[in-house]
Amino acid sequence: MLVAWRYRIRENSFIQSFDPRAWVIFYLCCLVSTLSFWDVRFLLPFFVIAMFVLLTSGVQWHEIRRAFLFIVGFVFFFAILTFLTGRGGTEVYKQEHLIREFRASFSLLGWTPVLKITVERAFFAISQLVRVTSIAVMTILIPYSLNPAYYGITFKGLGLPDKFAYAMDLTMRFIPTFGRDFQLTMDAQRARGYELEKISGGLIAQVRKLGPIFVPVTIHAIIGSEDIIDAMDLRAFGVGPRTWLDVLTYQTRDRILIAVGVAILSASIVVGFMGYGKFWVPEALMGMF
Amino acid sequence: MIPDWINIVLDSLRLRIDNINAMASTSLPLVVDNLSFRYRDRQGAAIHNLSFTVNAGEVLLIAGASGCGKTTLVRCINGLIPRSYKGEMSGKILVFGGEVKDWKLSQISQKIGTVLQDPERQILGTKVVNEVAFGLENLGMPRGEIFSRVDESLNFLKISHLRNRDTFSLSGGEKQKVALAGILAMRPSIILLDEPLASLDPASAQDTLDAVRLLADQGLSILMVEHRVEDVLRIKPERVMFMSEGEIRYLGDVSGLSKVVNYREVKLPAEDIVERAKLDPPPVEIKVLPGVTSSHSSGEALVKFENVAFGYESEVEILHGINLQINRGDVIAVLGPNGAGKTTFVKHAIGLLKPKSGKVFVGGRDTTEASVAEIASMLGYVFQSPSHMLFAPTVREELAFGPTNMKHTKEQIELEVKEALKIVNLSDKEKDPPLALSFGQQKRVSIAAILAMRSRILVMDEPTAGQDYQNYMNFMDSILQMPAFEAIIFITHDVDLAAIYANRVLIIADGRLIADGKPQDVLRDFDRLKANRIIPTSLLALNLKRLSTTGRFMRAEALAHI
Repeated sequence: MLVAWRYRIRENSFIQSFDPRAWVIFYLCCLVSTLSFWDVRFLLPFFVIAMFVLLTSGVQWHEIRRAFLFIVGFVFFFAILTFLTGRGGTEVYKQEHLIREFRASFSLLGWTPVLKITVERAFFAISQLVRVTSIAVMTILIPYSLNPAYYGITFKGLGLPDKFAYAMDLTMRFIPTFGRDFQLTMDAQRARGYELEKISGGLIAQVRKLGPIFVPVTIHAIIGSEDIIDAMDLRAFGVGPRTWLDVLTYQTRDRILIAVGVAILSASIVVGFMGYGKFWVPEALMGMF
Repeated sequence: MIPDWINIVLDSLRLRIDNINAMASTSLPLVVDNLSFRYRDRQGAAIHNLSFTVNAGEVLLIAGASGCGKTTLVRCINGLIPRSYKGEMSGKILVFGGEVKDWKLSQISQKIGTVLQDPERQILGTKVVNEVAFGLENLGMPRGEIFSRVDESLNFLKISHLRNRDTFSLSGGEKQKVALAGILAMRPSIILLDEPLASLDPASAQDTLDAVRLLADQGLSILMVEHRVEDVLRIKPERVMFMSEGEIRYLGDVSGLSKVVNYREVKLPAEDIVERAKLDPPPVEIKVLPGVTSSHSSGEALVKFENVAFGYESEVEILHGINLQINRGDVIAVLGPNGAGKTTFVKHAIGLLKPKSGKVFVGGRDTTEASVAEIASMLGYVFQSPSHMLFAPTVREELAFGPTNMKHTKEQIELEVKEALKIVNLSDKEKDPPLALSFGQQKRVSIAAILAMRSRILVMDEPTAGQDYQNYMNFMDSILQMPAFEAIIFITHDVDLAAIYANRVLIIADGRLIADGKPQDVLRDFDRLKANRIIPTSLLALNLKRLSTTGRFMRAEALAHI
């Protein structure tokens, strides 16, 4: 059975005070706008919006702690990796201003590891951190704030055909279901003396040893999908236009939110066309190095 | 008294007359005529030349061992065969005179509703109201009509109070009723139920059966595939069909069933078994846990729960103050309603869950200080669902996985695998891929996989769910006679299983230990049983009646000789 995210009605939640369609439109506008900038000055307003949404969502810290720490940790890891290697940023800057260079005291097959700290790398890491954190925060709140009973009608209301809208509904619920099945399989294999943390050997050997987890989880997902298809077929899904039991109605505040979202997106596109919002490093800082 | 063979001939004649009538009539809800089917990727037909009819207002119980073709028959009738499952099909299925193969699935679904074995596999909606409305939404009905039919179905099944509940928060019995309501809302004339009781506690099963009887009395035709024959007989099905190897072995009234089927294959009411078993030699008495000698039975507890409380979320507690010891020689049956905390309780014993307060000791070691893998060498745990653990390319490798993790020697593993396969009657499947086996066989592989680990304590979570009677009785006999185990614990909804095999019964309800004692002490209190959704069976009643003579609970075959 598909399980739902841990949604519940929260008092005074800013997100939940809107029609889910309006919120999804606003979210998509913010997402596309954020992705169109590398300039940290342009990214900061989106970071502020994300933080405002987070703090007014009514979601308790203990509910999202694990997911939040995982995502933020992931973002930090990649930002630092990019900073250390210099890869990734070279697409948005050509020239680098060296602040300091660390050369290793050893060589590997004639290659000496060198760590260069440049103004561009530092600013790229900051921009990346702000950019991805803003998106992650907005995204992570969706499953906690949107009523699972409205997933289907929300996507339908956004203009998707019946089948796609219901498929989106099922996909949204598939993620927590997959998580539950993964945990059950982990438990079942641990009860057979399997210890994931003690897996050893080369890369291929390690991947092979993950079979006891990934094979049952995959097979279970396939069987589960077949069950869902059977259950849908047996109740005439997809034979024609369907009626959606729930009805969503836009209120004035929803229209305002959509207007704000569209305005942000339009402004971002215009600003982008005007050549603003590209990767930025303070002139003064470059002059110093 | 009429000899059995005459009855068989008479039944066969009745069957043919039925067929002739069916051909002549187009108003019968369902006519199955000479139906055969072979799955595309399998050798041999799953069902051969089945012919029968079903009348309006009739409950037809379909019984038979796992793999006898019951589910294939259901899939042929509801149209999933040949639409979703491909293969060679011959014969006809007529619904009110119309041949279903010419219909679209949407047409079939308005005439024939199907309730699957596990309601979890069927429920799609997040809220009860959405789930019940799903089929009607797909048919594009006006919203007002949908709401009216949803309320009608919920009222009919007396579950209107569930209307706005989240489906995942429902109990097993409630889920089954909601699945049924979703079917009823489409106003079918025929309802197919494929093992609807498999995962339900006795009281939920009884509720579901009562609803089914009510539907038949309203004029619907019901085909119910079920292993729990005795439970279904309580609602007096009009006819019973017994299938074996894809063919109909018996089709007739209930009274004839016990005369033609082997009482070891189908679970019949205890009185019927006693009557039949009198003619056979008495069953061989099994020696329970032969490895436990009387000198073992004192000393330190194998598992100890000290005031254990647990909750997944900080504010909701699921287990409250559990105190008990599991000692050498204990064969413990854990009974209780769906969602009572039974699985949560046993998961503490293997350390998969750690208590929020209190302590659990396994072999004298606190589970918070040991890994699950370390505890597994002491305590083997068979999960409810086999599909969560099977992964290996062959059954042999699947069984060797646990012992290999525990660093058993190659020779040891060879021996353990062979013995475990023998116990679950799968020696001929050693080289088969476990994932290609039937559900019942997969379940037995999952049990064998734990048996092969030779832990000292065996814990099984609903080992008999979805299994046919003969198979589960055989493997329970074998498991209890294994010398390696010092204690066995099994969670079950089958009161008879507890009565026959356990020497200690626990009742858990609402996360509390309600009763703990000998079966004859715990199971004699019918009021307490009913309060905890456990329904006394004919075997339990018979055992209690004869307890002063026998001094303990026995299986019906044994009672026949006392």
